[in-house]
Amino acid sequence: MTGILIVAEVDAGELRPEFWELVTVARAMSATLSGGISIAVIGAKVDAAARQTAGIGEVHVIEDDRLADPWPEAHAAALIQLSGELAPQMVIAPRTILGAEMAARLAVRCRWQLVQDVTQIEATADGGLQGVRPVSGGAVAATIRAGAGPWVVVPRPRAFAPAEAGTGAESIAPLRHSFAPPALATACETPKRIAVEGISIDRAKTVIAGGGGLCGPEPFTLLREIADLVGGAVGASRVAVDSGWVQSALQVGLTGKTIAPDLYIAVGISGAIQHLIGCSSSQVIVAVNNDASAPIFGVANYGVVGDWKEVMPAFRDALAGRTA
Amino acid sequence: MRVVVCLKQVIDPLTPASTLALDRNEKKIRAGVTAPPVINGFDEQGLEAALRLRETNKDIEIICLAAGERFSNDVMKRSLAVGADQLILVQDPSLDTWDPYPIAAALAAAIRQIGGADLVICGRQGSDWDNALTPYILADLVELPLLTLAKSVTVADGKRVEIERVLADGSMRMNAQLPALVTVTSELGALRMPTVSARLAATRKQPRQFALAELGTAVVPGHAPEVVDLAIPVTGRSCTFIDAADGPSAGVRLAETLLQAGAIRLGGER
Ligand SMILES: Cc1cc2nc3c(=O)[nH]c(=O)nc-3n(C[C@H](O)[C@H](O)[C@H](O)COP(=O)(O)OP(=O)(O)OC[C@H]3O[C@@H](n4cnc5c(N)ncnc54)[C@H](O)[C@@H]3O)c2cc1C
Ligand SMILES: Nc1ncnc2c1ncn2[C@@H]1O[C@H](COP(=O)(O)O)[C@@H](O)[C@H]1O
Repeated sequence: MTGILIVAEVDAGELRPEFWELVTVARAMSATLSGGISIAVIGAKVDAAARQTAGIGEVHVIEDDRLADPWPEAHAAALIQLSGELAPQMVIAPRTILGAEMAARLAVRCRWQLVQDVTQIEATADGGLQGVRPVSGGAVAATIRAGAGPWVVVPRPRAFAPAEAGTGAESIAPLRHSFAPPALATACETPKRIAVEGISIDRAKTVIAGGGGLCGPEPFTLLREIADLVGGAVGASRVAVDSGWVQSALQVGLTGKTIAPDLYIAVGISGAIQHLIGCSSSQVIVAVNNDASAPIFGVANYGVVGDWKEVMPAFRDALAGRTA
Repeated sequence: MRVVVCLKQVIDPLTPASTLALDRNEKKIRAGVTAPPVINGFDEQGLEAALRLRETNKDIEIICLAAGERFSNDVMKRSLAVGADQLILVQDPSLDTWDPYPIAAALAAAIRQIGGADLVICGRQGSDWDNALTPYILADLVELPLLTLAKSVTVADGKRVEIERVLADGSMRMNAQLPALVTVTSELGALRMPTVSARLAATRKQPRQFALAELGTAVVPGHAPEVVDLAIPVTGRSCTFIDAADGPSAGVRLAETLLQAGAIRLGGER
């Protein structure tokens, strides 16, 4: 029997970094769950990623051409298959678009309890789990309790410190399972990926984000110039994404990304709760907004009440002057 | 072709946390009395997807379906005002719950009661509990293929549904044979405004009410964890406002302040 099965998501051949946060959760939970930690690596061309996870536990690989694209039903079928074969007490999946969907499909199909979006989690004396998660966009924190397992746990991104990459525990060859899904009812085409200019917001140490107050796509060029000066990335609120000014990959918030950079600069962003949940763990938050009563100032360390059209060009020039 | 759009009535998600009333005994989140509820935003977008489908496929019947403890008729009838043919409300005290299993069971029973659907459209998640689970359970209970996170929905010759699925870094086309269930996301675009004449016509239409008992749902065992406590998290930092004569000098001062505080390292590592 397997104790904990971690879903290691592989994206374009690369192990997604959320994996290391899941390892932290798994190690904490393995104190009370017997059976050890195993890793599920599902995809096509996953060898390199599988090798990276080898120091953490027993690695189980399902490699198949049908798993080359992030096709939710197929990836979920692979995870459901592995969970059937390994009978884990707990499956831990990342809260990415694909990972969250695999978790939901697994939990619903097997009628296991889904403990999702938790910022804290612990075993209870009666053999259950207790966790804390945001609800209502982050306006409320709910303490939830799940009875006896198996459980599917989806930790909130950035809530758990990433574990150190495995330190050369002699890597045992991964165990390969052939993919034997039931008939799949959906079909997918190869994704159209839009390359993100510069670094992605989830890796950047500085993120400068624009919102509805920018009133169009052009001002994002100014944000990009500032991002380049400080080695950062450009982010956005949902209004900017839904208006088509920038691509979805830039969205910060409840249905966008959860980020925790050293510095987050919000320009023309009101600070709706669904936005703040994606950036409130940033170390320093700066807000530029012409409305002194905007909620963003309630979570900011530094604020400028003013028009970004006046403030931000001068801000850029001041930084550019220093680098010259 | 029949399209069922699932609409959840929720507290307005823009209600400030400070005015939310937590019922810590019942484990429910309530709005201040004066704030009217809304239709969950993603569900309005699901309705918009259905209305767009009808622009190209004339013989589409749009039925909106909601499950809950009680409803604001004015709020829910907005669906009729923008062009839905029918509004069905399944009402029962047990449906005011964070557990998506009984809700999905009620929705499934109602869909069976009306003789099924060719396409069911849901929102990606409810803004009340952020569960994003009901559509998965519903698809499982009524055994429909599930396509999620659609920013566009089309139906080819009444047989297959095709969506463009939003990814973190782009999109992906997906399809399934009808009948199927689709969830939509905000990139789809906002629900249209009702025309004056449609709004007037809607005031005469009445929702159909179903009691849970008459649908004969089997009790679905609770598979969701239980909520044992609710709290308003303390957030907030103390904000240092940059004082300056005008915008440009505030910009310069902000740059200096951040450099001094070590928050910005120029030419810093990426
Ligand atoms: C279920 C759900 C999920 C959601 N998910 C997300 C999410 O993931 N991410 C997200 O961001 N939102 C999300 N939202 C939407 C959220 O509620 C807000 O609508 C959104 O964040 C508002 O974006 P904004 O502040 O950029 O735009 P607006 O609300 O339009 O605010 C613009 C701000 O710019 C300021 N401004 C205007 N002109 C200027 C100027 N010249 N100079 C300086 N400031 C100016 C205004 O004072 C205002 O504060 C979600 C909502 C729901 C219900
Ligand atoms: N009570 C309900 N009545 C109708 N539809 C619902 C209900 N609850 C959830 N849904 C649908 O399921 C989607 C996801 O909701 P949830 O699982 O609550 O996050 C919503 O966007 C709705 O389309």
